[in-house]
Amino acid sequence: MTSVDEIPVQVVGQHGNVRPILNEIMHALDRLLESDEPTIIDLAGLPFAPGELEELEATLGTGELTAELDALGSSRIRETAYPGVWWLEHRNAHNEVVGRYLEITRTPEILSSQEADIVAGRARLEDRIE
Amino acid sequence: MDLLEFARGPALQIAAYVLVAGTIWRLVAIILLKEKPEFSEPRGPGGLGAALKVIYTRAFTAPVFKKATLYPKILGYVMHVGLFATVFLFVPHIVFFQGFLGFDWPGLPNSAIFVTGVVTVGTAIALLVRRMTSPVLKLISNFDDYFSWLVTVLPLVTGLLIPIRFGIRYETLLAVHILSVALLFIWLPFGKLGHTFLVFITRGTTGMAFERRGAKT
Amino acid sequence: MKRTPTVGEILRAKGVSRRGFLKYCATTASLLALPPAMIPRIARAIENARRPSVIWLSFQECTGCTESLTRSASPTVEGLIFDAISLDYHHTLQAASGEQAEAARHAAMEENDGGYLVLVDGSIPTGNPGFSTIAGISNRDMLMDTVKGAAAVVAIGSCAAFGGIPGANPNPTGAVSVSELVKDKPVVNVPGCPPIAMVMTAVLTQFLTFGQLPELDKFGRPLAFFGKTIHDRCYRRPFYEQGKFAESFDDEGAKAGWCLYKLGCKGPTTYNACATVKWNSGTSFPIESGHPCLGCSEPGFWDKGGFYQPLSTGHFGSGAKLAGAAAAGVALGVAAAAAGRRRQAKITKEA
Repeated sequence: MTSVDEIPVQVVGQHGNVRPILNEIMHALDRLLESDEPTIIDLAGLPFAPGELEELEATLGTGELTAELDALGSSRIRETAYPGVWWLEHRNAHNEVVGRYLEITRTPEILSSQEADIVAGRARLEDRIE
Repeated sequence: MDLLEFARGPALQIAAYVLVAGTIWRLVAIILLKEKPEFSEPRGPGGLGAALKVIYTRAFTAPVFKKATLYPKILGYVMHVGLFATVFLFVPHIVFFQGFLGFDWPGLPNSAIFVTGVVTVGTAIALLVRRMTSPVLKLISNFDDYFSWLVTVLPLVTGLLIPIRFGIRYETLLAVHILSVALLFIWLPFGKLGHTFLVFITRGTTGMAFERRGAKT
Repeated sequence: MKRTPTVGEILRAKGVSRRGFLKYCATTASLLALPPAMIPRIARAIENARRPSVIWLSFQECTGCTESLTRSASPTVEGLIFDAISLDYHHTLQAASGEQAEAARHAAMEENDGGYLVLVDGSIPTGNPGFSTIAGISNRDMLMDTVKGAAAVVAIGSCAAFGGIPGANPNPTGAVSVSELVKDKPVVNVPGCPPIAMVMTAVLTQFLTFGQLPELDKFGRPLAFFGKTIHDRCYRRPFYEQGKFAESFDDEGAKAGWCLYKLGCKGPTTYNACATVKWNSGTSFPIESGHPCLGCSEPGFWDKGGFYQPLSTGHFGSGAKLAGAAAAGVALGVAAAAAGRRRQAKITKEA
């Protein structure tokens, strides 16, 4: 056995922590539709019973778009089966999960090219042309 | 030592000593009293049977008073049953009793206890209002009645506040709850709350005396 | 004070993109238990933050706190130590020893006078100074000397925060907490045995990000992590409310993951973030592993009765004392009855 993931875990019983989050997501979608206001839910701050995070992930499912980001470790940005609801998972250089978020937005900010990076990239391109 | 440690330590400890010593003091003092001399021929044996009969019959209202006392009688029963349930069927309480009795029994869900507690406090308030508005009850009530009411209701109210919180820390609320129970323990043997352990003794004694004197019970 | 680079500069020098930086800020917000809406502010603050010098002092301790910190994953302690803070003295982690180590401590104190952070793990003996010394200096002298020029002191672990095991009854070394000795500097307590690494790093990150210490509760603990009880955030809480309790460690209730209150869980009176932050890279926390909370982040937790004694168990003292009270009751009763009988006899005679 090399990692804790290999310890068999039997999930018993329902604790009902998933439903309130689904409710929160629905209200966030309402806000997005009505006033274009995005919402970010930090999943690290919520109490989950064993298996509930997986239950939430399975409930939300996978949608049309999944993006991989490689910056300070890998990140996966995935639209869930519910358009506008994005599942973000950040990992560090050791491939350990350092953050999980639900973003209820049209496009998560981190997907857009960033001003500073564009400026730096343009400079690199300029160097190359010269 | 913080408030909670004081409450569940020395405060509860001293209160428990007072409760035990006071209860036994009062019981022994009453039981060892000389029986009143009988100046007339006994009309009946006046034994245990007579005692049990009155204990049973006095659990209900005499038909002639039924209409007049139905309201307080129902309230009284609801309050006493409610007190029993909140004290003895709330799981943290059962664990408390198990701590020195060594055994436990099944409890009720917290939500059921909470509702029972609210109902119990409600009936206690209704009974107090009646005591303060009824001209007769007002006349025969003294400090003991009001203070006994207060020390009984305080643990209920402080207990009900614990899950509500109102932004106060759990330990503080728990400590206040335990302190209110300590107050109840200290007062119980000496005031009218002594009926907790005397009620059936007094009724039984009355029943025995009644039978000896030939009164209909 | 020498000019230290900002975190933004350090990250850019390492070729970290803005996206990477945003990710770093998001995890930092998560770390500080701040709402995600704060991320832009955090980004601005971190961009311009300068890494502070940190001096770590270890006194009467077991190194468990250092173990907890160095085993932490987020945002990677190596990153934190080498990028965000300048750990100038830590006698377990540093290569230097003896006079060189002490020289490093003095150098850091002089260079960053008034601006460095002092982290302390372990309690300080106030009895015989020889109980615990480093390089021949007593713990108390080293602490008082080092905090003189500090911006703030962080007491790491229950020993430094509250006295911990060394301070437990009968406290043979006269151990005290940092806050009992340091009165003129802000002291943040990060208790736990050990504390959650994330909470330790969060306090440092907060200081680094906003240049200020977090909001504290009455025991000097950061409210963001110690504001709620384990019980409040426990996923087994519904079972408590339903009255479903494990009665032993191997019964059906325990297997079904019911509430551990009856097995002595101190969750209701313990303020900590274990239930949400969790341990071992978010794997679980004690209750999730089937063991009641010991209450390790509360003052004096060693002396608060048995770990497996339910919280609502009364502390009645011995049964013998209760029997004594009963005997006293009998004596009082007999005396009262005798007095009563005398009065009865008098009344009968009069009648």
